[in-house]
Amino acid sequence: MNLSRPDRPDRLDRLAAEYALGTSPPRVRRRLAAIARRDTVVAAALDDWSQRLAVLGTALPEVDPPARTWDRIAARLGWSATADARPSWWNRLAVWRAATAVFLAAAVALGVLQTVGKRAPAPGIVVILAGSDAKPAMIAAAAPGEEVLHVKSIGATLPPAGRVFELWGLPKGAAPRALGVIPAGAVVELPTRSAAVALLASFPALAVSVEPPGGSPTGVPTGPVVFTGQVEQMF
Amino acid sequence: MRPTHERGDGLAALIGRTALGDRSAFEHLYRASSARLYAVALRMVKDAALAEEIVQDVYVSVWNAAASYDAARSQPFTWLAAITRNRCLDYLRRRELDTVSLTPATDDADPIDLPVDAPTAAELLIAAADARAVRGCIEGLDSRQRQAIALAFFQGLSHGELARHLGQPLGTVKSWIRRGLERLKSCLDAAGATR
Repeated sequence: MNLSRPDRPDRLDRLAAEYALGTSPPRVRRRLAAIARRDTVVAAALDDWSQRLAVLGTALPEVDPPARTWDRIAARLGWSATADARPSWWNRLAVWRAATAVFLAAAVALGVLQTVGKRAPAPGIVVILAGSDAKPAMIAAAAPGEEVLHVKSIGATLPPAGRVFELWGLPKGAAPRALGVIPAGAVVELPTRSAAVALLASFPALAVSVEPPGGSPTGVPTGPVVFTGQVEQMF
Repeated sequence: MRPTHERGDGLAALIGRTALGDRSAFEHLYRASSARLYAVALRMVKDAALAEEIVQDVYVSVWNAAASYDAARSQPFTWLAAITRNRCLDYLRRRELDTVSLTPATDDADPIDLPVDAPTAAELLIAAADARAVRGCIEGLDSRQRQAIALAFFQGLSHGELARHLGQPLGTVKSWIRRGLERLKSCLDAAGATR
């Protein structure tokens, strides 16, 4: 069943509507869910209808779930129910550690650190930012004595139309800190207004989210977080 | 650069921080939204233990999928409610497959005691509309369309179950639903109610 054929929008819309309402027969439901995993047009149609119908019934009277529910969620996520719940970005970033090591060499080869190289051995910092597929998408680097971050996009890494990428520092045990909107371009500079190396060194990791023009209006990421990476001392 | 809001209030900010692995934000998100999501699940699956399990599933997937939340596309509670509804429907449809029941839906095996004066599904759909625009769209449906959609929405009935429940031919019920959904779509989208 090729649902994303352009001549079939009505059929997809109807199937997605029935999927979201829940009236599709079980077999159709499972099949649609399976197709949506590889077909983004179908996935978007299901998502659109799910969001549309979820606005209904939002004012049902609240019912508290049993008190144990939170502990069970924490246990399923592998957190001890008694452990304190401090933020721990770095746990989540474990995946990127291996990728970062591999691509450190690549970063040098790509020439991002040209300016650093001339002044070695003073310490510089490089961060490889990768998406959930672990493919590097951006490199952020800081050279000693500069008050600017160098950001290079790898391949065609562009935000969706009308949106921008915003860079975040993820400090230990505190809320993310906005580092600024990443200007458009293959290799760009982001002013830091203080020593860039010291700034980056104060975070274990960085992240990039998709935001409205001008950056997040709330001070925390509002759009999808698309890339993350660990801060690594270069030399 | 903007000042950082240490405690960005609102569900969207909590989801944003959850996306970055902030466990305390995630727990706040749970405290702020679980009673509403549990109500949604309870209404649909009508089984307290199953609803609790679904709520657990929902928050585990929210922890893992928070990075895909896009505040420009959907309201935070709508996003959470959509995940919850889909999870309930997966359970209901799986159960339907497991039992391969040809008998009418087991309405009387309902372990949740709804008050005797519980509003009918169609009335509930109107009453539970948070925004006036949404309520207007529901009221704009033909009464048969509204009843069929409300039953499906709150009870999670499939086309076949609805047809049996309403004592109508399958094709008739399917066309009520189809036309009702089309109407709802153009009305809700015109009102900008989803965003």
